[in-house]
Amino acid sequence: MTAPLTQCLLRLIDENYTLTDYQSDTPPRWCTGCGDNGILTAVQRLCRDEQLSPEKTVMVSGIGCSSRLPHYMNAYGFHGLHGRALPVAEGIKLRRPDLNVFVTTGDGDCCSIGAAHWIHAIRYNMDMTVLLHDNEVYGLTKMQASPTSPRGLKSNTTPRGALLDPLNPLTVTLGVPNVSFVAQAVDWIPEVLFDIITQAYRHKGFSFVRVLQRCPEFMDHRFDPWIHDPLKTRLLVHAEGIQLKTDISRIYRNQETHDPSDLHRAREVASETEEIPVGVLYRNSAVPCYEDLREGERPNTPGLIRTVLNEEFDKFTIWPEDDGAAPPAE
Amino acid sequence: MTAMRTETAYKDDSVRQRGEVRNGDMDQVALDIGSPHLTDADAGPATGPALRPALFARYGDLSKLRYDFPLILVDGDGGGRFLQSLTSVVDGILRQIALPGAAAEPLRRHVLRLEGEIRARVSRGESDTLSRLWKRSAADLIAEKGESVFGPLATKLDYAREALHVDGAVIDCDADTPYRVLAHIWTAVQASKAKAFRKKVDALIMKLSDILKADFMKSDKAHTREALQSAIGTSFESAFDFAAMSHVLSRGPSEDRLSEDRRRRIRAVLQVLQSQRFYGPGRASERRPDQPEPYGFVFDGCAAALDAFRDRLPEMLDFVKVLTIAELEIQNKYRTELHDPVFARFDESDLSEDQLAHFPSYLVCLRDGHTDPAETVRAFETLASGLPVKVLVQTDDILGTTSPEPPRSSFGAGSARLAAMAAGLNDTYVFQTASANLYRSHDRLVTGMRYEGPALFAVYSGATPSAAGMPPYLLSAAATESRAFPTFVYDPAVGPDLATRFDITDNPQATVDWPVHELFYEDEALQRIDKTVPFTHVDFVACDTRYARYCAPAPRAKWRDDMIPAADYLKLAPERSVEHCAYILSVDAGNVLYRTVVDDKLIDVARHNADAWRRLQELGGINNSYANRLLARERKAWEEQKAQELAELRTAASPTPEEAVAPAEAVAPPILAAVAEPAEEPEPANPDEAWIETARCTTCDECTQINDRMFAYDENKQAYIADPDAGSYAQMIEAAESCQVSIIHPGKPRDPSEPNLKDLISRSEPFI
Repeated sequence: MTAPLTQCLLRLIDENYTLTDYQSDTPPRWCTGCGDNGILTAVQRLCRDEQLSPEKTVMVSGIGCSSRLPHYMNAYGFHGLHGRALPVAEGIKLRRPDLNVFVTTGDGDCCSIGAAHWIHAIRYNMDMTVLLHDNEVYGLTKMQASPTSPRGLKSNTTPRGALLDPLNPLTVTLGVPNVSFVAQAVDWIPEVLFDIITQAYRHKGFSFVRVLQRCPEFMDHRFDPWIHDPLKTRLLVHAEGIQLKTDISRIYRNQETHDPSDLHRAREVASETEEIPVGVLYRNSAVPCYEDLREGERPNTPGLIRTVLNEEFDKFTIWPEDDGAAPPAE
Repeated sequence: MTAMRTETAYKDDSVRQRGEVRNGDMDQVALDIGSPHLTDADAGPATGPALRPALFARYGDLSKLRYDFPLILVDGDGGGRFLQSLTSVVDGILRQIALPGAAAEPLRRHVLRLEGEIRARVSRGESDTLSRLWKRSAADLIAEKGESVFGPLATKLDYAREALHVDGAVIDCDADTPYRVLAHIWTAVQASKAKAFRKKVDALIMKLSDILKADFMKSDKAHTREALQSAIGTSFESAFDFAAMSHVLSRGPSEDRLSEDRRRRIRAVLQVLQSQRFYGPGRASERRPDQPEPYGFVFDGCAAALDAFRDRLPEMLDFVKVLTIAELEIQNKYRTELHDPVFARFDESDLSEDQLAHFPSYLVCLRDGHTDPAETVRAFETLASGLPVKVLVQTDDILGTTSPEPPRSSFGAGSARLAAMAAGLNDTYVFQTASANLYRSHDRLVTGMRYEGPALFAVYSGATPSAAGMPPYLLSAAATESRAFPTFVYDPAVGPDLATRFDITDNPQATVDWPVHELFYEDEALQRIDKTVPFTHVDFVACDTRYARYCAPAPRAKWRDDMIPAADYLKLAPERSVEHCAYILSVDAGNVLYRTVVDDKLIDVARHNADAWRRLQELGGINNSYANRLLARERKAWEEQKAQELAELRTAASPTPEEAVAPAEAVAPPILAAVAEPAEEPEPANPDEAWIETARCTTCDECTQINDRMFAYDENKQAYIADPDAGSYAQMIEAAESCQVSIIHPGKPRDPSEPNLKDLISRSEPFI
């Protein structure tokens, strides 16, 4: 087997990242029992299995419990403004398309204050992996209703119970043009969570994964019916989606073969309320990425920037002799 | 004639008229056609009328026909199509703007008339771009019609002009065509290569500049008051206290800086990347006045091209090294101790084809009559070197100057042989064709120019001086038709074997010796006669005035029964050929039909040529003698085997009724019982031992918070029982109760003396 010289020389550098290489010095400060821990572990396992260089990996977040995740990853991170994780991630991807960009956001950060960015990020379909940690409540600020809170939830802002039906992030995402990857996972089936995040990472485009996540402090027992009755979780299996290991398959017997290219069926499945669908709902690799569409003819080297600026300035330059000739050399 | 097929003529009637051949009352016979052996002494110089092969009768004034020429050498990348024919461009415009039906008929006519005008100008030798020719021709048509420049004709032509999205030089088929077409395609391919090259190099420059810039931002110099002030600009400078900012920044902890060694290396790499001379800098790159001009890559001799390659080799090596170093630096994986020795040893032998492909290829143009004949030999050596050199060998005269026999020393014949020889070099792309086929060979030409190794293009221009009056297009097409200069391609990149690499299917009717065409004419009684006429090598040679002395035209009145067509004559056994004389059908300027009796010399040349063509056919997989022999042998063996089987069947005794109705089940293979996949049952856990379903652990820290020696995380950060004795049974039960996914199974207590054991055991029951 032969390889280009650069690849040969790169292979001389023996890098073998382990899971601890992706753990930061800061131990996670999430509550004991919080589903965010499982998501963090799945991301770290992905980085190890794909051998992503920490210096080529960026975790971007907004505000919320979930958005603390970049602190716990030994990689580049941007813990930004509330609801603005996606624009920051898009900026990073535009300027540095070689980086692996992950976005961790919560149901408030993404679906409430960041909803406008969310919709357009789907449409732009830039190559990044987005993990929506959905615990259906504002946890960091001690329990207020979020857009995905179930109707009737009593919280500090809805003392008489939430009046509206919750927003379904899956159906919303599937309704936006250019959607290219939508999946749902639950933090209490870690193997499947890991599989889905892996699929999302490998998909080129905007990979949106909603992770239903337990909040032991403010939404305790919210998902107990599904945790304790595996038949209420419907696993979507397909050769193009996820495939289950035997031990998982034995526990979660409620399975449906779902072709991820079937958008219509994906929308039906996403609308389920009784059972929680878990798996890859939709995938379309043919949707172009915005960063590829707007890629310039040439990279913006310092030389190019100076030349183009000078050309623009020249348009407004008044030469001493108004005959269109260049000024005499000094 | 496939190669000369024309599309709809604008003056269809007149062309059909011209295409008809009338048998005439000719009484002029130059020689005694009773003698089939015309020699120099017998014949003397030709005294008959100027004749052309009869199949040329329908191709009179080419400027009135719509065909592949004139060609447009398309500016820019043309969507990957670097050549267009005027006809196809006009057809495209009409498809776009003129709807089917009578309403658009005037528009169609005007545009076709304009096309005719452009075609006429080009055939008169006017050379310009399509847009300018269009403008001038349109102005002439408008003036001719006496309309104003805002009249209906101008409006229609303007409307059509808006649909014209192609521009470029318009050329006719002449002596310069092969060079112009090949040079144009080479330039276009190099332009796309240059674009990819600049993009790659600019990306490296940008990333390396970013590294240096990021490093500079950490320096003390970047933290000075002046530097901070200049970064903000003048608009808001009063809003900041730059001195205070500088003070704060300089007091901060010193940041990691690049090592001096690395910084120097990156600067050196940038210097090489920015000063390379293989490609021009492009539109928007700074070019220093002291920077030398980019290299040229077009040569008129192989020696000069090879010398240039050798001179530039050290620079190429440097550049390849720098590209590799740049990529290592960008990934921060340059290790001095590891990579310095590798690059110190780097030499010519380390250059791969992939790396050579970054650089422009060299174009060498050789031309019959203009280039030193020794260049043919050099061209062969150059191609054998495997370097990315594209050699064009243009031939204007296939037949040579002295004798109809294949000349041994003339350049023209040499170049024809060169192409066949070059195909034997194994890794050289070879394409041989005539000018008339260039438009249809666009993809072949582009593939050859893009091929990473050497390529040879042997092109016959058709501009043979001794065939005066014959348009180069027609003559070059005839060369292909007559197999005098057959088209073939040898492309080493498409596959491993000759069957995929060698292709002669671009030739008309490639499976036969000579292509045949329909000829129809009127006889004396004005009745239509249809004939199938082959176009042989003799027809092609007869176009050349140098060989007129070997041809004796016979009008209708002198036709005899022992005259047979040259193609049939060539098939005769030698002893029978003395009974006949060979002729080809010709026409004079008035399209009057003759039988032209030809000398044995021409027949010999044609026989030799047919032999060469058959060898080419074999290479192309047609009538391959090896395959035919193998096929005959296999067929014979098969027939013998079948005959033997038949004989055995006949002699065999009749089967008994029991044997005849043998139960099908007895012979059918036993159906394998479906092997059930062994169920992967988990190891039955010992209910007395504590255990965790590790694969289901959600890493929620509940158990490790209770006792991090009893519970630990594995390499996937999922919990397992590290030491059941590291804590109490009470902790085990507490962990099992806390676990939100209920995957901890506490087993039996290990210490029988633990307090409240009875209560703990009852609490453990849901988790067993």
